[in-house]
Amino acid sequence: MANIAAQRIQREFKEVIKSEEVAKCAIKVELVNDSFTELKGEIAGPPDTPYEGGNFVLEIKVPETYPFNPPKVRFITKIWHPNISSVTGAICLDILKDQWAAAMTLRTVLLSLQALLSAAEPDDPQDAVVAKQYKEQPDMFRQTAKHWTSVYAGGPAKMPELDDKIRRLTDMGVEEHNARVALSSYNWDLERATEQLFS
Amino acid sequence: MADNWTRSVPCRYFKNGICREGNNCQYRHVQETRREGGSSIETEATSTVTAASTAACHFFKQGMCKFGDRCRFKHITDEDSSPATAETSSFESHTSGISSASVTEKIKEVPRLAEEWVNAPEFVPLSIPTASSSSTAETSSTSATTSAPVSYARAVNATGQSVTSSSAPLCPYAEASGICKKPNCTYVHGDICELCGRAALHPHNEEERKKHTNACVKQHEVDMELSFAIQRSQEKSCGVCFEVIMEKSTREQRFGILPNCNHCFCLTCIRKWRQATQFDNKIIRACPECRVTSDFVCPSMYWVDTKEEKEKLIMDYKGVLSTKDCKYFMKGRGKCPFGNKCFYLHALPDGTKADVGPPVRQRRNADSDIDFLHQIILWDFLDARDNHLMYSIDELEDIVAFFSDSEDSDWSEYDLFFD
Repeated sequence: MANIAAQRIQREFKEVIKSEEVAKCAIKVELVNDSFTELKGEIAGPPDTPYEGGNFVLEIKVPETYPFNPPKVRFITKIWHPNISSVTGAICLDILKDQWAAAMTLRTVLLSLQALLSAAEPDDPQDAVVAKQYKEQPDMFRQTAKHWTSVYAGGPAKMPELDDKIRRLTDMGVEEHNARVALSSYNWDLERATEQLFS
Repeated sequence: MADNWTRSVPCRYFKNGICREGNNCQYRHVQETRREGGSSIETEATSTVTAASTAACHFFKQGMCKFGDRCRFKHITDEDSSPATAETSSFESHTSGISSASVTEKIKEVPRLAEEWVNAPEFVPLSIPTASSSSTAETSSTSATTSAPVSYARAVNATGQSVTSSSAPLCPYAEASGICKKPNCTYVHGDICELCGRAALHPHNEEERKKHTNACVKQHEVDMELSFAIQRSQEKSCGVCFEVIMEKSTREQRFGILPNCNHCFCLTCIRKWRQATQFDNKIIRACPECRVTSDFVCPSMYWVDTKEEKEKLIMDYKGVLSTKDCKYFMKGRGKCPFGNKCFYLHALPDGTKADVGPPVRQRRNADSDIDFLHQIILWDFLDARDNHLMYSIDELEDIVAFFSDSEDSDWSEYDLFFD
């Protein structure tokens, strides 16, 4: 059983490396251990999205029953997205749950995640706060997501205004990431974020 | 004690030249030699062969003897030997009183009775009227029991004529291997067939030639079809395990054909996928690649490309299943949940087919399925066990594979059922 899983991952590994997406640096897979049960994936933020220019690292755990069960994937890189938990990186994507098909591969999974970044599903959210913002204040959402991409995924955008707000909080002794989460959650309303942090 | 009386009865086989029982024969081995004076004496024979060289070879008389020069019997034609046969062939003639001089009454009495017994109609093949004119004419005077036993060669070649060349059988050695080691083989050696390369074409019989050529062409077509099937299957890999199916272990070299799409899987993988319990039925009944739903999986040794091939395969598969008794219907004792949609045979013990109507329950909630599910699993288990008992022999792998095909396919029905 585990044999099938390992053999298939091995084959897929070769497939991913040869694929054109790798040539375009859009996706990448690396081995974490020798047993093919844990891998590290990487996807590039799709163009014309707040994630453009960022590189998002994924943790891929291959179950023994693979490919009859989907791999367990989560974002290691922090990301601001309605279908991805900003806290844990857990992903809400149907194909990684009940819509899995045995013919899907690491490559298709990574490409699906990339597609998820360009087309969020706010009605089936993983992170309710992000989803709410996505629906109610799309501009604010885009800015936040861009900011997160630049901070955590090496994105190019510089947002001195937002950085300034964070610095105000960190000066009060708040940890930087916590400050960012609080501000992002309250649409960069410094007062409400402070209130939440110190309540 | 019971056997003693047979000692006085002359052995029919020995009389005709050879008795394979030899010295162990229950019957009397009597050798007769005719003296110049027309009288004959009987001597107790000690071996099987003594009587042989004097007797004429029956097979040679019919036209051929496969032993050729090495034959223990005299190779003389009927014409040469008619005076001799007239003298020697009928044992009856001397027991019937013509040559009673040198034998005592006592000795004579016993064989005569035995003779009548041994020639009872039950033991004597019907004599063919036209056969052996010389010997029957000679002995007809004695009694009805005197008709000589007909040899096999004569029985099959009733007319007594030598075999015509067109109906002569082909030498089996030459036909099978192309080599006949016998230098002067009396059988006909066929011409070489271009298709099979064997000496199987009858040189004189056009009909036989045609028959063989047709059979060869048919075989050739079958072979071609097979090699095409192998060729198109060669490279195919399973969409689930990604392995090349023909490179898997022999038992797993089987394709699972989905009727509604053209994606390729090995039987093991696609069945396993369809048995998955963690997903919706809609998901597992769909093709893992294109999500097109198929009601069942058709096992196949080879990949099928065209629609026609696939239809034929599925027809054959259903055909095989429809001859096997349904395990749920149990010849009328049980109830099959698949109703008349079941692929298996619903027949009563007397062989009449029963129409059980449409499937019982089309839609049910998950809870009520549990009992039924257990039942299926139990049956599968029982079945697997039975098969192992019955076909535990590895050499019969084909049979096992064949059975595993149709037995496992319950899951496909299961798919069908949970519509």
